[in-house]
Amino acid sequence: MEKAQLMENLKKQIVAQFNLKKINPEDIGNDQPLFVEGLGLDSIDALELIVLLQQEYKVKLANPEDGPKVFASVSTMADYILKHQPGNANGQ
Amino acid sequence: MEEANIYINAVAGISPQSVFNEGFSQSVIKPSGNRFVCMEPDYDELIDAKLIRRMSRIIKMGTAAALKCLQQANVEIPGGIVMGTAYGCLQDTEIFLKRIIDYKEEMLTPTAFIQSTHNTVGAQIALLLQCHNYNNTFVQSGHSFESALLDGALLLKEDEMNEVLVGAADEITPASHAILERFGLYKKQAGDNGFYNYTSKGTVAGEGACFFLLSNVQGEKNIAKLNGIETFLDVPDEEVENKINQFLAAHHLSINDIDLIIAGRNGDKKNDAVYDMLDKNIFTDKQTINYKHLCGEYPTSSSFALWLALKLVKDAGAAQFLCNQIINRDVKKILIYNHYLHTYHSLLLAGAC
Repeated sequence: MEKAQLMENLKKQIVAQFNLKKINPEDIGNDQPLFVEGLGLDSIDALELIVLLQQEYKVKLANPEDGPKVFASVSTMADYILKHQPGNANGQ
Repeated sequence: MEEANIYINAVAGISPQSVFNEGFSQSVIKPSGNRFVCMEPDYDELIDAKLIRRMSRIIKMGTAAALKCLQQANVEIPGGIVMGTAYGCLQDTEIFLKRIIDYKEEMLTPTAFIQSTHNTVGAQIALLLQCHNYNNTFVQSGHSFESALLDGALLLKEDEMNEVLVGAADEITPASHAILERFGLYKKQAGDNGFYNYTSKGTVAGEGACFFLLSNVQGEKNIAKLNGIETFLDVPDEEVENKINQFLAAHHLSINDIDLIIAGRNGDKKNDAVYDMLDKNIFTDKQTINYKHLCGEYPTSSSFALWLALKLVKDAGAAQFLCNQIINRDVKKILIYNHYLHTYHSLLLAGAC
């Protein structure tokens, strides 16, 4: 999957998963922070994102300490998925 | 509960009727089939949008009713928060259980689980208020609200605090409705001949959230007085009359002192037989009104009955619109009698200050 398409999917999934009623997927910037000052997600949401990655993309977050970097933005999430998704060139 | 000076300073509710903003809708709203659904307000005015996204319907309903009640009483932080719920947060419970199956017991997300516990509504109210005071939730089926009310009244009686927020909330979801319908609780077809006709078995499912600010301080803020609470379990119909007489006697009253009876008829012949018997035996000359055509049947529906009682203390004329009855006297003392599934009986005595 192309990164642009993947980011579009992620935005839709984030809006649906977190019930962000007043935000449309296209309102979320590729590099917009997801936590605190950005979309305002919190630590409970981080756990939801980990499950989303595993359920939707079969990607496990191997090291929880990587969380802040992986979930910094939609773009960083997409990069991580593309790198680790089974079947991709660099996937595990 | 022995006689104590327990006052009610504010009340707010969310119900199938449009009652959140004080006024009523143009006409009494009837159930859709065999189920009532609450008329929910715009929550954005009361609850932060970032918090609301994680709240299920019952949490929003309970929290909004509680916050509205506090607003009306002009109280920022109550001395305690006590609530009752029988079903708890069903929607989140269903999500959590479904995910266990969908995800094959792996990688369950925390949100639905955290919010599926029965004390979530009370906890959310405390979190929003940053209220670190007494917080308790009673889960006792058809006595959940009465137990919360009794706890709140005892806290005030023992001077643990001067004001306590007490309420109840229960929701019905499509899944719980389907299950309870299979148990035969609800009518198979909605009656066209009025809520209380007996052409079919069962009742109509209901839901709602009502909160009350109780106080032990007499003053201008008081809108009504809560004179008594009594609960009893599993008594035969013929014992109820004695229970009512004993309850009234404990408060130095007889049935002649009661201006209005609010009864928990729910449109099921078997359920309503005890109310018919009481009408014949001790409520003979008393005006009795029913309330479940407004909110449906649910384990904490007596909270709506108390809400209605307070409305009628303030404005007896509302009975004509809501219950199609004209009350021709001042309403100073109201007796509420309700039972849930013939097991959980309760008596509430409320009235003007």
